[in-house]
Order: sequence, then structure tokens, then C-alpha cells
Amino acid sequence: MSTEKSTPESDRKMIFRFRWPERIEHIILLISFIGLASTGLPQKFAQNHLAESMIALLGGIETVRIIHRVFATVLMATGIYHGGSITYKLFVLGQPPYMLPRFSDFTDLIKTMAFNLGLSKKHPRMGRFNFGEKLEYWAVIWGMGVMILTGFMLWNPIATTRFLPGEAIPAAKTAHGNEALLAVLAIIIWHMYNVLVARRNLSIFSGKISREIMEEEHVLELEAIEQGETPQPPPPDIYRKRMKRFVPFAIFMTILLLAGLIWFVTFEQTAITTIPPIY
Amino acid sequence: MRLRWWGLVGFVVAAMVLLGVQPIRAQDGGGDDGGEGKDSFDQRCLDCHDGSDATLVFGNGEKRSVDFDLDAFNISVHGSSNPSGYLSCYDCHGEHPFPHESGPYATPRDLRLELNARCEGCHSYQAELGSDSVHAVAMAAGNTNAAVCVDCHGYHDVHKPGVPRAEISLTCGTCHTDIFAEYKDSVHGSALLQESNPDVPTCINCHGVHNISDPTTNLFRIRSPELCAGCHANKELMNKYGISTNVFNSYVSDFHGTTVTLFEQQDPNAEVNKAVCYDCHGVHNIRAPDDPESTVLHQNLIATCRRCHPDATTNFSTAWLSHYEPSPDKYPLVYYVNLFYKVFIPGILGFFLIVIIPDAFRRFWGPSHKEGEEQEEEIVDVD
Repeated sequence: MSTEKSTPESDRKMIFRFRWPERIEHIILLISFIGLASTGLPQKFAQNHLAESMIALLGGIETVRIIHRVFATVLMATGIYHGGSITYKLFVLGQPPYMLPRFSDFTDLIKTMAFNLGLSKKHPRMGRFNFGEKLEYWAVIWGMGVMILTGFMLWNPIATTRFLPGEAIPAAKTAHGNEALLAVLAIIIWHMYNVLVARRNLSIFSGKISREIMEEEHVLELEAIEQGETPQPPPPDIYRKRMKRFVPFAIFMTILLLAGLIWFVTFEQTAITTIPPIY
Repeated sequence: MRLRWWGLVGFVVAAMVLLGVQPIRAQDGGGDDGGEGKDSFDQRCLDCHDGSDATLVFGNGEKRSVDFDLDAFNISVHGSSNPSGYLSCYDCHGEHPFPHESGPYATPRDLRLELNARCEGCHSYQAELGSDSVHAVAMAAGNTNAAVCVDCHGYHDVHKPGVPRAEISLTCGTCHTDIFAEYKDSVHGSALLQESNPDVPTCINCHGVHNISDPTTNLFRIRSPELCAGCHANKELMNKYGISTNVFNSYVSDFHGTTVTLFEQQDPNAEVNKAVCYDCHGVHNIRAPDDPESTVLHQNLIATCRRCHPDATTNFSTAWLSHYEPSPDKYPLVYYVNLFYKVFIPGILGFFLIVIIPDAFRRFWGPSHKEGEEQEEEIVDVD
């Protein structure tokens, strides 16, 4: 926010973009991502000197592994919450699926490229979430899927090899490490460029976005907002009816998934409990 | 002329040795500072001890012969081949005036321990090394059976140590009988004892010689992979036997090795329960990996895993890459997952850069940028 005040556009109209639960969700995602990356990458590159000092700084490899698992648990819990909030937005509030990839995203990408290369004078007109943001969102979904699946296998190798060949464990290890590397590099290159370098878009923290950015990136949504055509919440009676179905479903799913999460993190003890050395 | 003179000396010396006559000490070159009159002193000892039937009775009633085998002494390292000259009885036994007193020794061991202290007079370096060895620690703790110099090297018939090499492990085996029994059938021990292999480790290659450290410490455990790697990462040595030298690196890059290495970097005395080489391969009983009795043979591996992972099922043992580098033949799933990311990561990042670089150029170095800030406003408004 303060950064926006310092720019000449400070007196421009700010447009509301993210409600506080979404902003908090992002902060938790950010913290757990940094926590996971800073405890995970030193394990992947354990023979690197920087990784060594990093591990020593964090209190040794056993502590690093515990911190990693704590953040993993936090992130998985956030994932469960996200599933609930998406269900609420789509089926209770009746919002359109903004994040669903469409063919127009592909053409928007081509148009953006053409515009940047000077082949076209027209910048594409994009909606609430443009192709770059959808790409990131689905990359996070894909990445979390891979990380949770392979993370489970690494966390519970004995349980995993009850029903999968042993080779799955080192395969999971290489996938987990490589996927992590990809995620971190994607965040540094793609996300950081788009939200900090190309333009300073801190709307996920402040909740508000400048009109200027809206014009460039989400002009279709901007027009809809200004013409009062944004999707409206359902009338109270329909809302109540939907909530009657949503609340029990959400409670049921939350209990089920949290139980799954607890099962996940407590499934196997041998990987972390200390068996005294033989000699 | 000179040659003939030496020949004469040689003949005289050989004749004296053959006749069992003590050589004349005056020819030794005076390297020893034993003092004058030593030769006659030795001769006086030999008068009784060379071929004696007498016994020394200790306080506990035990008896020991006082006979001295002169021939064995002469060919020992302290005899004719000693560069500093023959040792005198006096050098080790001290001044021991005749008639001898019965002595304050309760047991033969007490006498041996006292005489053993004389070794240090000449072999101070080895004594220094040995002073904090596992044997010295045991001795200090009251175990008088802990090995001292003469227990391993002998006394009157001390030979050049380690000739033949098997002698080293046989010597340790005189006390460490259980461990020797395991070792002699191991891949290392059998090669040493049956084939006189010059490369396999004897006890001292892993445990050290005089400064033998306690092998049950955390430090020994955490450093042990490097000990094995000393030979097993040596290409020249391993090529002779067709053994891979990648074993250490493949160990360190897998879970157990990575963790042990990290523990070592943080604190080499840390307690670590992650497997080191000998947890899987065995300690003294190491077999070749294709030996039916090998703890790492595929059929036996799961039993080995279960020593630390009691709940492991049969598939579990193949979670360990068995020191292999994943390839299309060995661990293809790991190989192809890795290959996928080798293409996927640069592919995705390359795509990002293809989108970002023109965007950055247009934004920060593009023609509109040169024309001023207002132009930039127009671009975003274009539709």
C-alpha cells in the first residue's frame, strides 16, 4: 500500500480485488512455501556448502526435516480450506469459475506476445484472472498434487512399499526434488516478474488494485465493475437453501480430509523415530 | 683388499653365530648408550639363562621358565639386524643383580607389565600413539589383560611386524577370538589368510595400529564410510578386482549417506542411527555381495533392512538403489522421472522467459519508453 502511495498514481481510484480470507490464504501459502523451500532445497542439494550452513543454521538435519513436515502439514491444511472456499464460491455464491482455462487464454497469450514484439498494436482484453494467473494457479494445483503424493511416499516409505514397488521411493524422491526446484524457479521467474518487476501489484496483500493495472490486465472485469455487471450473490432464500446443503457437506469433507491429513502425517513412525544404532 | 677384509669379518661372525657364541659387542658401532661392561654382563646372564631348567615362582604360585632362547633373540629385530646394535639384557630387564631376589610380582602379568614399560625408552613414538588407545584406556580402567607392546610384538623373539601380513590379524585374533572367527571367513579375511592378498584390510587397516581407537563411539561410526571409501573409492585398487568405485558417492547421494554426512558436518560426535556401510554389509563378517551368505544379497537384503525398519515388507528393500546409478536398465522409473524433469524444467522456464523477455523489453527499453511516461499510459489504454 505504501508503495502505491509513493507513485504518481496514488490518487487514482483503487479497485477492490481480494477479500481478507483470500489475502490470509495467500500469506499462509507464502510462508509455508518459503518454509518448505528453505528446508527442502538444502536437503536436495545437501552436498552444497550453502546448504550445509543453512541446515546447521536451522538446527541440524533432523530439525530441518521436522520443520519441513510442519510446513507441509500447514500447506496441506490450507489446501483443504481452499477446496472448501472454492466449493462455497462456485456452488453457494454462484460465482463463475474464473480460474477455468479457456481457449481465449491461449489467444490472449499469443496476442500478448504479438503486442510485446511490436507485431500488434492491440493488447488483449482479459478478465478477472488472465492467462498468466491461471497458469500459476494450475501450476500450484499440479505442483501440490505432485508434492503431496511424492511427499507421502517419502514420509511413509514402508507403507508405500506395501502396495508399490520399492523403486517408487527413489522415483518419488527425484520427482519431489525436481518439482520443488521447478516451483521455486517458477515463483522467482514468473511470479516475481509479474507482480514486482513488470508492475508492482500487491493487491493480494492490500486487497485493492490500481485502476491502471486493471486496465492493462483485467479490462473486461473493470468494465463489468464499472457497469455494475459483476456477479451478484444469490437472494437470501436461495442462499439459505444452498447453505443447508453446503454446511453439512463442508463439515463432512473437512472432517474426512483432516482425518486423512492426520493419517498422512502419523501413518508411519519408523521414518522419524530414532532406533538406537547397532554399534 | 677391502672386500676381503669384510669377507673375513663376515666369516668370523657367521662362525660365532653358528657356534652359539655371543657376538662381540664392541663391533656394534657404539650406537647404544648401554654403557661399558654390558657385554660381560650379558655373558653372565647367559651363563645361567641360556638353556636353563630353572623356573620363576610368582606370588600366586604360577611358574615360568627362566630359559632364554639365544638363537631366537639373535634373529629378532633386537638381534643381529638391529641398526643400533644388539640389545643387552640390561636394556630391558634393568640392573638385576645376582643372586636375584624372588621379586615382588604376584603374577607373571605383573612382571610383564613392568618390563613392558621399558619399550618406551626406545619406541617413544609408538608408546605415545598407544597411550590413548582403546587398550591403554582399558588398562587404565583396571583391565590388566589389555594388550601391551609385548603381547602383540613378543619379547625375546620380536620380528618385523606385518611379515607376512596375515600375522597381523592372527596376532589380534589371539585375544579377539570371536571377531577373528567372523573375520577369517569374510571376503577380506579369507583373501588375507588363504591367498595372502596384499590389498585386503587386516585388522589394523581399519582400526589403526598403536592408536587403536574405540570402534563403538559415535565418531567411529559417523566416519566409518570414509574409512571404507579409503579403499573402495580408490580406482587403481578396485580395478584389480572389478569393484565399482562409485559406492561411496552413490551412498552419499542416497538418503542414509546424505543424512550421515550432514550429521558429520554438524557434529562428528553426533549419534546417528542412519545406516553406514557396515550396517548393511556387516562389520567383520563382510561377504562379497554375491556370496550366498552376504547380508546385502538380494534375497537376504530385506532381513538386513528389517534390523532398522522392522515393519518393512519385501518391496521395501528395492527402495534402496543398491549403489546403482539409475539407467534404462537399472531403476528405469527413477531414470525416466529424472529425464522427464530434465526436459520439463528447462521447457517450462524457457517458456516463461520467452514470454517475459519481450515484455520486459517493451516495458523498460521499448520505443514508447524513450518517448516519455505519457506514452506508456496510452499503451495500456489501447484496446
